Amino acid sequence: MNRTPAAHDHAYAAEPRKIHVIQGEFHVADDDDVVLTTILGSCVAACMRDPIAGVGGMNHFLLPGETGDAGLRYGVQSMELLVNALLRKGARRERLEVKLFGGAHLFDGLSDVGGQNSAFAERFVRDEGLVYVGGSLRGDRARRIQFWPVSGRARQILLAPTESKVFATERRQPVVKPVEDIGALELF
Amino acid sequence: MPAPSSLTCLVVDDQQTMRSLVRSGLQQLGFRTIYEAPDGEEGLRHMLARPIHLVISDYNMPKLDGLGLLRAIRSHPPIQKTAFIMLTGRADKELVQRAVQFGVNNYLVKPFTVGTLKEKIEAIFGVLA
Repeated sequence: MNRTPAAHDHAYAAEPRKIHVIQGEFHVADDDDVVLTTILGSCVAACMRDPIAGVGGMNHFLLPGETGDAGLRYGVQSMELLVNALLRKGARRERLEVKLFGGAHLFDGLSDVGGQNSAFAERFVRDEGLVYVGGSLRGDRARRIQFWPVSGRARQILLAPTESKVFATERRQPVVKPVEDIGALELF
Repeated sequence: MPAPSSLTCLVVDDQQTMRSLVRSGLQQLGFRTIYEAPDGEEGLRHMLARPIHLVISDYNMPKLDGLGLLRAIRSHPPIQKTAFIMLTGRADKELVQRAVQFGVNNYLVKPFTVGTLKEKIEAIFGVLA
């Protein structure tokens, strides 16, 4: 069967380069072919981009559960590292658009660390005057997140409840086993 | 051995959240008079408008960064002896060396605890009363 050049090109279009952002880290990119990924339980990821500069990034943080400022400082640090890295790549603070994901409450009866992470992230965005353009926080499912830093497109895949708990347990292990997806929700 | 309540402090950082954290830490240590500025230029205006004993400043800031602010303070006689602590995102050896060259009194690596903040201030002023 003959294929048209267009179909051929489409069939062999390069897959985006996936960069996984683990807890405590961040990554910024200005490359159309990059997609930033992460898996979140009670952690939160902030996805930021400057649509004019064409640069974006993602962090992944977990407040340590300490009360007051002692716990907040890790979240503030994570946000600052991401913002500063974006500014160094030409972004302007006043143009930054933010999407927030994660902060799930995976286990009944335990303190709601995810809720604390979510509240911190929302407050940070509000206090810093950043533009919040959407996302998905809280709930009781772990999430797989994909973020295209140049376009700002984000995709969330919720994990099944049982696998969310497995993820929450295994996330302390060096290697996180792949988990089954139960459906994708594309955002914005 | 000054009482913290007798010292006037200026916190300079482009992130309001970080300024609030530093302010909160200073208040826990007994400081009462704390001013804030979002960048070096605004910080310098504060310095020229009122007596400041201690500046705690971020490095990465728009308009005038932490090193620029430090240099401006050290080159301006009326305020050149003001104590200056630089906030850094990490233990950046080159940045710290440049800051020392420009006369920084101490530096503080983020994220920091109130205990570390206290140690850095006491290294300059002596044990806080």
